[in-house]
Amino acid sequence: MLACQTPSPPPKVSWVTPVRATDFVMQGDAARRASMRLVVQGLDADERKDFPSARASYERSIQVDATNPWSYLALARYYLEQGEAQRVGPLLDQSAALFEAEGLREPRVGVHLIGLRGGAYGSLGQDTEAQLYIERAQTLAPLVWGDGQLQAGELL
Amino acid sequence: MAAVGAALGFVAGLWGAHWVLEQDRIVVARFEGKRFEVPSKVYSAPLIVYPGSDWQRMDLAGWLVRSGYREQPEGGSLRPGRYVWAPSRLRVHLRAFEHPLRPEPARDLEFRLKGGEIEFISDAFSGNPLDVVVLEPEPVSAFLGQDGEQRDLVRLDELPPSLVSAIYAVEDKRFEEHHGIDLRRVVGAVLANLRAGQIEQGASTLTQQLVKNFFLTPERTFERKLREAIMALIIEARYSKPEILQAYLNEIYFGQRGSTEIHGVGEASRLYFGKSATSLSVSESALLAAIIQSPNGISPFKRPEKAQARRNMVLELMFEQERISWEEFEMARREPLRVSAVNPDARDVRYFLDALSQQLPGVYDSDVLSTRGLQIYSTLEPRVQRAAVKALRGGLARIEANSSARGRPISGLQGCLIAMRPQTGEILALVGGRDYGSSQWNRCIQARRPVGSVFKPFVYVAALDPEYGPVLTLADTLEDTPFEVETRETEAPWQPQNYDHQFRGTVKVREALERSLNVPAARLGQQVGISRVAETARRLGVTSALPEVPSLSLGTAEVAPLEVARAYATLANGGRRPTPRTFVDLVEADGVVGEVQPLEGAERAIDPATAFLAVSLLEGVVDRGTAARVRRSGMRGPIAGKTGTTDDEHDLWFVGFTPELVAVVWVGFDEPAPVGVPSSAGALPIWTDFMMEVVGKQVRGAFPRPSSVEVVSVDPKTGARALAGCPARHDEFFIRGTSPEQTCPVSKQSDEQPGLFRRTLGRLFGR
Repeated sequence: MLACQTPSPPPKVSWVTPVRATDFVMQGDAARRASMRLVVQGLDADERKDFPSARASYERSIQVDATNPWSYLALARYYLEQGEAQRVGPLLDQSAALFEAEGLREPRVGVHLIGLRGGAYGSLGQDTEAQLYIERAQTLAPLVWGDGQLQAGELL
Repeated sequence: MAAVGAALGFVAGLWGAHWVLEQDRIVVARFEGKRFEVPSKVYSAPLIVYPGSDWQRMDLAGWLVRSGYREQPEGGSLRPGRYVWAPSRLRVHLRAFEHPLRPEPARDLEFRLKGGEIEFISDAFSGNPLDVVVLEPEPVSAFLGQDGEQRDLVRLDELPPSLVSAIYAVEDKRFEEHHGIDLRRVVGAVLANLRAGQIEQGASTLTQQLVKNFFLTPERTFERKLREAIMALIIEARYSKPEILQAYLNEIYFGQRGSTEIHGVGEASRLYFGKSATSLSVSESALLAAIIQSPNGISPFKRPEKAQARRNMVLELMFEQERISWEEFEMARREPLRVSAVNPDARDVRYFLDALSQQLPGVYDSDVLSTRGLQIYSTLEPRVQRAAVKALRGGLARIEANSSARGRPISGLQGCLIAMRPQTGEILALVGGRDYGSSQWNRCIQARRPVGSVFKPFVYVAALDPEYGPVLTLADTLEDTPFEVETRETEAPWQPQNYDHQFRGTVKVREALERSLNVPAARLGQQVGISRVAETARRLGVTSALPEVPSLSLGTAEVAPLEVARAYATLANGGRRPTPRTFVDLVEADGVVGEVQPLEGAERAIDPATAFLAVSLLEGVVDRGTAARVRRSGMRGPIAGKTGTTDDEHDLWFVGFTPELVAVVWVGFDEPAPVGVPSSAGALPIWTDFMMEVVGKQVRGAFPRPSSVEVVSVDPKTGARALAGCPARHDEFFIRGTSPEQTCPVSKQSDEQPGLFRRTLGRLFGR
């Protein structure tokens, strides 16, 4: 039986609504829009557990527009889920640099980069860093990162 | 006596039976074992099209032809593998793409075209719009064995009936009826040859031809003819007609492509028509059947009139034997001889294949690659590769032609062009020389040549890098005055000179690199430290040995073009170093994925802000400097690059890049000798031709600027921060915290400008 608890006051942090890939499918030039569509197709495949198709879609999205930060973000998430955490860091760096170059530096983008990096640290046994990063992501976006993970569907 | 005869007869019978059994064993071993040694095929990256994409630049029409799609008139249903091209509209029924991991279903699509652009794509059945379509990878080449045989296996049920009909008509019209030997034809041939007084007609059935190709040598002896007949009978007894026919269609010799033997109708179809055998027309089927008798003597490439005459003869036979209707005969006979317009020799891709095979694990050695029928999906983009071949060949020929006009003719010039995606290291095109047939030396990956001024940006990177404590900002000046360095390697001190043997005094950093001045770069290298310069080059991606001598700053080190491409890709990619990648995955003959080369993220090698400043310097080289020819050609948008010409114009380099593509061009002789022109007139035009073809005049995107870089207005004369009242100003990039404190006009507080070292210290300690 759970003890009756006095509700604690909400934490004094600003929650953010994290960005989703689907918010960006109509933005940019023709190549970017096609690349975003492939990212979304990949996320759909990821959700269906069709992992080879997901990976192929992400790689194709890079072929169409190698400067699309979403492609690298989605691929990093994919590798983390596949247990290949050692591949995650460089992809997140690439994604972060491209988001930054596009002026998307706000926390609603950064929260995914932070959380995924935390996930990678965790998978690589770097628990202190993992906790730090994931807690930060959880604080920023508890609805998405509350479970410490980012599902493909949460980017759709 | 009778007993002796009986005994001899018995022995002869035993020997004969043993001999026949031996032939049977040979036939069975070949037929039931690995019937053919199949070279592994290499496929390109897929072609991805979308509304707004340029279908002409993407060579959509060429893709259809090379992928074996067949045009049909408008109206009626469209089967997979067919297309209809009407004005402003293309309808294609895509075949299913079979791959164990990423298959694509067959789809009937409609493209609406407007000028050079795809305006709209929809599903032809439902009418639903499509945002992006992935078109199947096209076969680009194969790993051949020492026998040099290339074949593309076909299944009998995939082939058009016209092809089998044509071959029956001219080679063996009673194939379905005889048992390996056509006695009526033998008698006919004997009589005809007796009448002619020489051998004019053969009587070999398809089965006998198969035996000859499979098991025997071409000499004309009685024993060989006997073995051919016995083996043909054995094959007919053991195997069905369709099995025999399929083996024949995959085995029969169809001529040479360079040193490569073409076997089977699958490969022949690709050679002569640039498409899959599944989509051959009646006239094309007849031409293939016509060639079989003497592939080199009736080659449609070398003897088109002879080939056309024999094709028409085959068509007549097909009509006479009621294998085609009168209408089909008339239509096919009227068709001009259309052979593949694409380069029939895929040798240009072999340089890429060599690079690819080096990236495969050791178990995939040349024997495995040439016999196991693997399918390797590469990163090669055919249109990029074709543009690279065209630009390099054209450029080398132009340099040679111009040399004759200058009265100093040269010949045998070589070159290399490599194109890489900087974010992923994927190699999109690689041409390691002028002609693979005459030289397999891969100058992109095997040759190490002095890089000259292409190395200078690495010196500037080392000087700009805040990790070392920056020596330089882009607003600083450098000294272009005589100086010398004592070296251990030479008795006399090293005295660098500029290309024009002039000294300009104090020059701005940008000007020094844009004009590729040697003296300021050599001074800067000394100031930074040669070991630091070498370390920077290694971090960027150079793996060759770098002698730590003063002249390293001017590019005396010998480096392979692939390394240069990777180092510049690191700059283009914001300081993150990509790993070269030539293939995506490899599928074994049994349909299982054998090897995957995952797309690796690039590793951070240098500070992103430093990379951005270096790119900005290199944009200046293209905008105003030694590579200004790029802009004069009409190319707009973000482009950066660097020329490089070594002593006596032995090696000409140009490395140029956009945010999405790095391309390196090297031109020179295998045995170093003067080319006679500088890089700006040799390697640079090749690069420009290539990029214009691949990306067009307008380059998309921008080089990403990290937030650690700020823009500050400075006085162009002094480099001081420009305030109101400063007579002139221009914007310059600085790594945050390194911008000048001195101002223009000079204020009291800032009339004593602290040096960069003090500024950096001040930043670090909050002062």
